[in-house]
Amino acid sequence: MKLFELGERTAQVHDVLVTLAELAERDDARAVLLESADDPALLKPYLNRLDLVVLRFPIFRDGRGFTQARELREYLRFSGEIRAEGHILPDQAAFLRRCGVDSVVLPKDGNGDPALWEKQLRQFPVAYQRSVLPERSVGPGLRVEEAP
Amino acid sequence: MSIPVGHYQYDRIDRDFLQARIAEFEGQVQRRLDGTLSEDEFKPLRLMNGLYLQLHAYMLRVAIPYGILDSRQLRKLGEIARRYDRDYGHFTTRQNIQFNWIRLEDTPAILRELAEVDMHAIQTSGNCIRNVTADEYAGAAADELVDPRVHAEILRQWSTLHPEFTFLPRKFKIAISGSPNDRVAARFHDIGILARPGEDGAPVFRIFVGGGLGRTPVIGEELFDSVREEHLLATLEAILRVYNAHGRRDNIYKARIKILVQAIGVEAYREAVEAELAQMDLERYRLTPEAVAAIRSRFAVPLLEAPADADAVLAQQRREDPLFDRWVRSNTHVHRDPGHIIATISLKPAGGIPGDATSAQIARLADLADAYSFGEIRITHLQNVVLGHVRKDRLRDLWLGLSEVGLAEANIGLIGDIVACPGLDYCALANARSIPIAQKLGARFADTALQAEIGALRINISGCINACGHHHAGHIGLLGVDKRGEEFFQLTVGGRAENGAAIGTILGAALPEDETVDAIARLVDCYLGRRESGETFLDTLTRLGHEPFREAAYETV
Amino acid sequence: MKRPVRLEPGQKLVLTANRLLDGRTVWWCADGAWDLHIGRAALLDADEAEAVLARVAGEAQRDGVVGVYDTAVQAAVPPEPVTVREKIRAHGPTVHPEFAVETEQ
Repeated sequence: MKLFELGERTAQVHDVLVTLAELAERDDARAVLLESADDPALLKPYLNRLDLVVLRFPIFRDGRGFTQARELREYLRFSGEIRAEGHILPDQAAFLRRCGVDSVVLPKDGNGDPALWEKQLRQFPVAYQRSVLPERSVGPGLRVEEAP
Repeated sequence: MSIPVGHYQYDRIDRDFLQARIAEFEGQVQRRLDGTLSEDEFKPLRLMNGLYLQLHAYMLRVAIPYGILDSRQLRKLGEIARRYDRDYGHFTTRQNIQFNWIRLEDTPAILRELAEVDMHAIQTSGNCIRNVTADEYAGAAADELVDPRVHAEILRQWSTLHPEFTFLPRKFKIAISGSPNDRVAARFHDIGILARPGEDGAPVFRIFVGGGLGRTPVIGEELFDSVREEHLLATLEAILRVYNAHGRRDNIYKARIKILVQAIGVEAYREAVEAELAQMDLERYRLTPEAVAAIRSRFAVPLLEAPADADAVLAQQRREDPLFDRWVRSNTHVHRDPGHIIATISLKPAGGIPGDATSAQIARLADLADAYSFGEIRITHLQNVVLGHVRKDRLRDLWLGLSEVGLAEANIGLIGDIVACPGLDYCALANARSIPIAQKLGARFADTALQAEIGALRINISGCINACGHHHAGHIGLLGVDKRGEEFFQLTVGGRAENGAAIGTILGAALPEDETVDAIARLVDCYLGRRESGETFLDTLTRLGHEPFREAAYETV
Repeated sequence: MKRPVRLEPGQKLVLTANRLLDGRTVWWCADGAWDLHIGRAALLDADEAEAVLARVAGEAQRDGVVGVYDTAVQAAVPPEPVTVREKIRAHGPTVHPEFAVETEQ
């Protein structure tokens, strides 16, 4: 498993990764795997002890993970690591990052080339809407860039 | 460079963004060619940039945000048609233009040419927020309360490469109008927005959700009556967030927001949206008056000056020339300035292909827009072209200019003004050809005097259940179906997209293609024979019910 | 799930796809090439088509084509597709006779 960091946070390695259903019975679990149909709000009682939430993308077209990440950051104020795994494309790197995802498990095929992910993160100089990241305005209107 | 009338003027930041998007797409094409991206992966990515693979070639759909072009942009579209396509383009029911004979390998070059005039193909397809449509008479119509284009531009920008909403369950269409007379089919959109002036000078927005045509036609329901401007983006984010999390992903035919709204009910949907809003950091999503003003300042406003006798000159010319008078009656609309008028240019010549324009016609339209309407052109969701601000005393000169290139058809809103999707002649999804039926109907009712006699009557033709021809919303709707490899057409009557939106009622079993035009002619004869003074087709239909029309359609000689 | 192919008497199957680079409709020939003209397409019996389709579809990336599938034709010279859709793919849009595949330069 090769990890790629979308931002500054260093990706963590965990021995125990449990499902949402298993979380209640595993006091030792510090990492949880959310399927795309899982409701992140159910993590609320466990957030303090979680270091890592892994969002599994069954296919790259299933965009529920973006909303899950954003809910974790924006509504639940989760400050640990969020990771995406499964069928994801480098073309989604900036979207993932802007929704609050810190790292990805690189796909094993040609889409896992870290250079592609790196390039995609820097593809767009500005964005036209606010994200969960610290941002500042660029010129008049809606445009923002990431604040350093 | 002077600021264009009617649409947002890009600056360097916007242009850099566009170049980055082209570079991204070029990289995606390269990865598809070298096999790193499979077709299953590439397809959603190319669709998000407007590129379809159709029956004969790739098709590129270019965005015309809120339907507004300037003449320089229109000229560029004509050049692209000439250089990269087969000398014509097709204007769509969502105010876009598409080219039918595009090569994948040419696409980055085409996108670069489009970017030279601040145009693109971003989000004209795919399961994302599509190009935003608006009232074709925006900023011109006498009946307008708020010019919706500044907010349409805000929505265009906000929805562009939205990090959370680019992989939705299904496509997502937003329309916005600022007139009490709905010209955008607001209630047939995933989100329909009607703007009106608020108490503090900023507009407020009435928001409908869950409308749509397609396999399951649904009239949108009101979600909120009065959303304040500062909360517009937050509200849209909340609506989309509920949809992205809960819209069905197991069945593409049940994946639109309308199915979710129908399943849980509009009250539950509203509660879910309010629950999102309660948790959201509203300050982060606030649409500030400064941002609105900054975007508004990038729009030029036409300086409307007309001689005092402009109206009298037009009246005199109409008296002298009955042909011109007929065109004025069907193809113009009242402008907010008494010296000006709105002219609709029909792309529906009798026997022609609805919405198609040759590169020569496109070039001429650009010239006429420069000469008569501040270089501004609007594309309508009924596949026509509007010049929004024509001086009344110069309208006849415009009409003469249009006549020279076969664009002076006097049939707007009449039976010849047929809306049709590309159908099976081009489209990989279609079951039947839409264009030949439109051509036969156009030829059958070619006489413009007869069309004027028949009066307001909309025919909409879709080649498949996806309903790009909006057949459910046609006064008479035709839906192409495939029966064992042969083309049949199902007829509906009584649909309408304007105020009092309604879904057409199916008259009966689908008819073979070669019997369809006669059946429609009998429907029209039934109306003409039984109408009472002043009644439109819809009025007579409402009074008599469907039965006489059903009998007429299926009557066999 | 692929539907079982039922051919009427006098019908055969041909393989078709679109070219990756320009999207044009092409037909699979016996020598493995893809051609714009259905007249050069290899005519296959129903019992052999499945295996040939699987093999040819597996080479789509190498051959630069997209979406390989089979379709029924009347086994005349040239073969004529059975459905309206495939007739239009073979000959071009009916509303633009000037773009007919047969007369194209």
